[in-house]
Amino acid sequence: MTTTPTRTRPSASRTRGGIGESVGRPDGVPKVKGEFEYSSDLHVEGMLWGATLRSPHPHANIRSIYTSDAEAMAGVFAVLTHEDVPGRKVYGMEIPDQPVLAWEKVRYQGEAVALVAADHPETARLALGKIRVDYEVLEPVTDAETAMSEDAPKLHLSGNELRRVDVRHGDPEAAAEVVVEGEYEVGMQDQAFLGPESGLAIPDGEGGVDLYISTQWLHVDQDQVAESLDLPPEMVRLTLSGVGGAFGGREDLSMQIHACMLALHTSRPVKMVYGREESFHGHVHRHPAKMRYEHGATRDGKLTYVKANLIFDGGAYASSSNAVCLNAATFACGPYDVPNARIESHMLYTNNPPCGAMRGFGAVQVCFAHEAQMDKLAEKLGMDPVDLRLKNAIEPGMKFPFGQEVPYPAPVREILGRVREIPMPDEQEAMGRDLRELPGGVSNTTHGEGVRRGVGYAVGFKNIGFSAGFDDYSTARISLSIEDGEPVVRVYTAAAEVGQGLVMVQAQIARTELGVENVVVEAADTRTGSAGSTSASRQSYVTGAAVKEACEKVRERIFELVRDEFGESDELAIEDGNIISDGREIAPLMEILDDGEISEIVEFHHRATHPLDENGQGDAHFQFAFAAHRAVVEVDVELGLVRVVEIATTQDVGKVINPKALEGQIEGGIAQGLGLALMEEIRIQDGEIQNASFTDYLIPTILDMPPVKMEILELADPEAPYGLKGVGEPPTIASTPAIVAALRNATAMELGRIPVRPEHIIGIPKKPPDELPQPESSRYSGIGRLEDRRET
Amino acid sequence: MKLRLMVNGESRETEVREGESLLYVLRERLGLFGSKNACEQGECGSCSVYLDGELVCACLVLAGQAEGSEVVTVEGLSEGERLHPVQEAFLEAGAVQCGFCTPGLIVAAHDLLSRNSEPTEAEVREALAGNLCRCTGYEKILTAVQMAAETTP
Amino acid sequence: MRPYKYVRAQDVDGAVATLAEAPNAAFLAGGTNLVDLMKLEVMTPDMLVDVRRLTSDRVEGLDDGGLRIGAAVPNSVLAADHKIRSRYPALSQALLAGASGQLRNLATTGGNLLQHTRCVYWQDVTTPCNKREPGSGCSAIEGHNKNHAILGASEHCVATHPSDMAVAMAALDAFINVQGPEGERRIPIEELHRLPGDEPQRDTTLQHGELITSVDLPPVEFFSNSKYRKVRERASYAFALVSVAAALDIEDGIVGDVRIALGGVAHKPWRATKAEEALRGEPASEANFRAAADIELEDAQPLRDNAFKVPLARNVITRTLLDLSEEGR
Repeated sequence: MTTTPTRTRPSASRTRGGIGESVGRPDGVPKVKGEFEYSSDLHVEGMLWGATLRSPHPHANIRSIYTSDAEAMAGVFAVLTHEDVPGRKVYGMEIPDQPVLAWEKVRYQGEAVALVAADHPETARLALGKIRVDYEVLEPVTDAETAMSEDAPKLHLSGNELRRVDVRHGDPEAAAEVVVEGEYEVGMQDQAFLGPESGLAIPDGEGGVDLYISTQWLHVDQDQVAESLDLPPEMVRLTLSGVGGAFGGREDLSMQIHACMLALHTSRPVKMVYGREESFHGHVHRHPAKMRYEHGATRDGKLTYVKANLIFDGGAYASSSNAVCLNAATFACGPYDVPNARIESHMLYTNNPPCGAMRGFGAVQVCFAHEAQMDKLAEKLGMDPVDLRLKNAIEPGMKFPFGQEVPYPAPVREILGRVREIPMPDEQEAMGRDLRELPGGVSNTTHGEGVRRGVGYAVGFKNIGFSAGFDDYSTARISLSIEDGEPVVRVYTAAAEVGQGLVMVQAQIARTELGVENVVVEAADTRTGSAGSTSASRQSYVTGAAVKEACEKVRERIFELVRDEFGESDELAIEDGNIISDGREIAPLMEILDDGEISEIVEFHHRATHPLDENGQGDAHFQFAFAAHRAVVEVDVELGLVRVVEIATTQDVGKVINPKALEGQIEGGIAQGLGLALMEEIRIQDGEIQNASFTDYLIPTILDMPPVKMEILELADPEAPYGLKGVGEPPTIASTPAIVAALRNATAMELGRIPVRPEHIIGIPKKPPDELPQPESSRYSGIGRLEDRRET
Repeated sequence: MKLRLMVNGESRETEVREGESLLYVLRERLGLFGSKNACEQGECGSCSVYLDGELVCACLVLAGQAEGSEVVTVEGLSEGERLHPVQEAFLEAGAVQCGFCTPGLIVAAHDLLSRNSEPTEAEVREALAGNLCRCTGYEKILTAVQMAAETTP
Repeated sequence: MRPYKYVRAQDVDGAVATLAEAPNAAFLAGGTNLVDLMKLEVMTPDMLVDVRRLTSDRVEGLDDGGLRIGAAVPNSVLAADHKIRSRYPALSQALLAGASGQLRNLATTGGNLLQHTRCVYWQDVTTPCNKREPGSGCSAIEGHNKNHAILGASEHCVATHPSDMAVAMAALDAFINVQGPEGERRIPIEELHRLPGDEPQRDTTLQHGELITSVDLPPVEFFSNSKYRKVRERASYAFALVSVAAALDIEDGIVGDVRIALGGVAHKPWRATKAEEALRGEPASEANFRAAADIELEDAQPLRDNAFKVPLARNVITRTLLDLSEEGR
């Protein structure tokens, strides 16, 4: 591991469990014992079960909704429709365009139409079947390109274009000596978190409601729920319960308003839990994309220009499509020095399921395309693909095509150079190996015959946190007091722990800053101010900074007390619960604090960002994180089976806060990148999801996931707490293109669409071609086509 | 109807409704929420329990089928405050993130180690292939099971 | 799940008699398939007769040297049985290639044979499906059909049989012993599953009330030289795109006898009799294996999304036979 010194901390302490250590999870013991309470485990006496009636049609007018038969059923306590929404009838994080319950029209299959509360989940489900909705079925708009056309039906009053971002940089007429073009497509990926959407709403008897919920952002939920219930926010109190994974899929509301409506209507606690199929309809997905690229370069491999036309399918409602569209436009060229760029990023409404946040959003899609283009260009130039990237790597002080100066650190060159130096996995003879170490594995498909190895590289980057002028802050309250004769720090934030380990990070920061080992991270709820979203890899930075600053304030107040009492003027520190000055213990904290409590609240705002101007120029982002990946794959070219042998990665994290948690983020992020490369896709036909189950939507198993070698760089960001950078998303961005690059290397196929599944690979020539076909040659695009496959 | 079964060594009796799965009974009737409800279609392994000594997905067992059976859930693996070595290893290795897959994986790993005390890496992977995890990328889970194999008596 | 009555029968006779009088009742064994389908309301029996503990759960030798597998033998037990592993390795491999450990512990031999298709349209009660509702139409023909049949389909149904185990049993000439209201009968596995024709709602030739009690494997020496290979989209826990079970008898480089069955390509485990016929007495060479596969696949009628299954099946057949010919020498 390479370490670059971060800023020195004047009052750094040697208290155990501070930053830099692999501190264990405070929720670990209950999780391994099965006692951790997830939102689907909540239970109170007398609670009812809520259920949701969803539209079977992707596009239809609602003529009428008839609920009497359902209401008449024994055990049914409420049947609600749009007429029962007390307040704002629509919701949405960026644009409130999604009906709480549909009226007049449904715009996607699975849209919520009515609600039931009953005394047993089965009764609730049966009651849904008794609600009669008379639909006038309309022709759905099922792809983004159709939605763009003049004569497409307008799905929203504002039209079908949800957002468009153009980036114009340099000379629009720039010409180049060498040009490569490509078309790329990314299928719709699902977050596939394991814990289903769920929560428990409890009416308080005074018109308000308490909601226990798994979410990524309590306050944005609170605001939307309160609006739709027509209640002041303080009457809608949210508490985070156990979250079974998120990955972006819990940033939008699912059952929050619904459960509260049912609870207030029935004056009974109401629990809602989605099943797996419903979950596929109940949250947004990763945007599918179609991308056309043209790269121009000099003969010696300097990029001259990039032109890109990006079309994203936003589905029926806005969700976070705005931000995805902007991200894609700003990252479309990759982390390269591009003197001239013309980027068009289009986001369209369709009648497909709504798309929104998923790990790496916007950056994942374009990274697949720009990295494929770089490989294509390298091939055409006869250059090594890593050398081409090194030659064009962006550096601090340069300008991104969207006009922002590249801040330090931006170690694209370092991470690429280092990932190449990581030792390659041993190339065992394929024949005779344990078949579990061959493509197909336990499926017994090969003993080594037909197996070819390939290696591919990719590098990617993304913004950390919310961009383009959003006031992206977090609030933390820190209290220090003596309990049972020991100093205890309590950390209060509304930041959502979704599995990533923020509870550890918060405690580690508090220990480091306050020199007290006993730190309790309290359950997140809306009594503390907003912490912002657990997304965009931002919590360690933003909430981390809020916790750090609040601790610093508490510490300062203690030091004031010490100075008042002891007249010490030397630099003070706290270690293991004792005040230290110049290496001497002055007094234990207990003596200073006595019975008192010191408490400080901090609202941390990072450096302001700004919206892009009409040419797509502006200081839109406040931090960037970079990671490079190398994939080694083995492909059984006769059967189309792929085994990823190993992923190697280098990532700059600024400062390692918790090594084990960091490794977990990187390995988990790579697994999702591997899934997108090889298997994960929500298949949609005529607006309808065809594979809403874990048998039909495949995510990687432990047999699919290779070992990961990693090298971590710590180049401190001078503006960030401890110099740290967000770490959650970068592993998911370039791992996918690295795997596909390795597949191309092994098969000489173009593979412009992900996921790449067996049917895309089967039947290519048995022997490696003598020379790799060039992009202009007819063989290049022809390889892998059906007619050719039939010849083999 | 009435259902009687042994759960974690205790005789339990509860009223159930036809159609309820063993998973539903464990969770909602007996308050044992450790077995998880990620798919309820036998696709993810998060509800793995022992049914008469065999590792099964509780979601696919109808309550009636479990009548008179002996069930051991994740809650039955630790003895009071003392964690089972598999549970210890999951914590030690950092194999727990959101934790939703963890109970099922721990029961499945427990089952593997009771049949094969020194599994190879390939054997661990094969044995746990019925348990989906979305957070960890499985690396630390693999490490945890190998660690547990070393410490399990 | 629709309400139903749960009955634990005392013996096979009682179970059969109970079912015979209840037209909408179903047998319940391991439940891995049926319980899931009841949750989805694809299957809506009004009575479940639990037969898991009624039939034999043992693998026993037969007088003719073959083996009898009790219908209640769990998939995991069958896969691990040393007689099966040594004398019918394709069957053990097929079982291990199916589902997950948890499901193999629950699933039974009889139940596995009667698994229902994984056609997503059959599983989705909101879409037309001739198998679920005869006459309502087939959504798969124009829908996503990459997992569907390339052989023996009809205009009414293009679903595939999902079992791995049954494919191996088809290659190994298994016989299915059945007890029904009319008494006992013994069915060659080839005649158990059926092609959809114009009655896609019928997966098998069993009559209502007939219960599989055991499966017999014949004493064929060269079945010890058999293999099961499965191609699927991830390394485990996924249904077959194409699978092959084959057994090969070679003498002096000539194919003496051969069995080939395919999974993932048809409404039933597809016994490749044309390929077998073409190979008997011919030199065991890659060219001949490939040619035989081509003969079998000549009749393939791929749909929009599954043309890849033709070269895939050819490649898997060829490779499996090559493998067996090397090991069988």
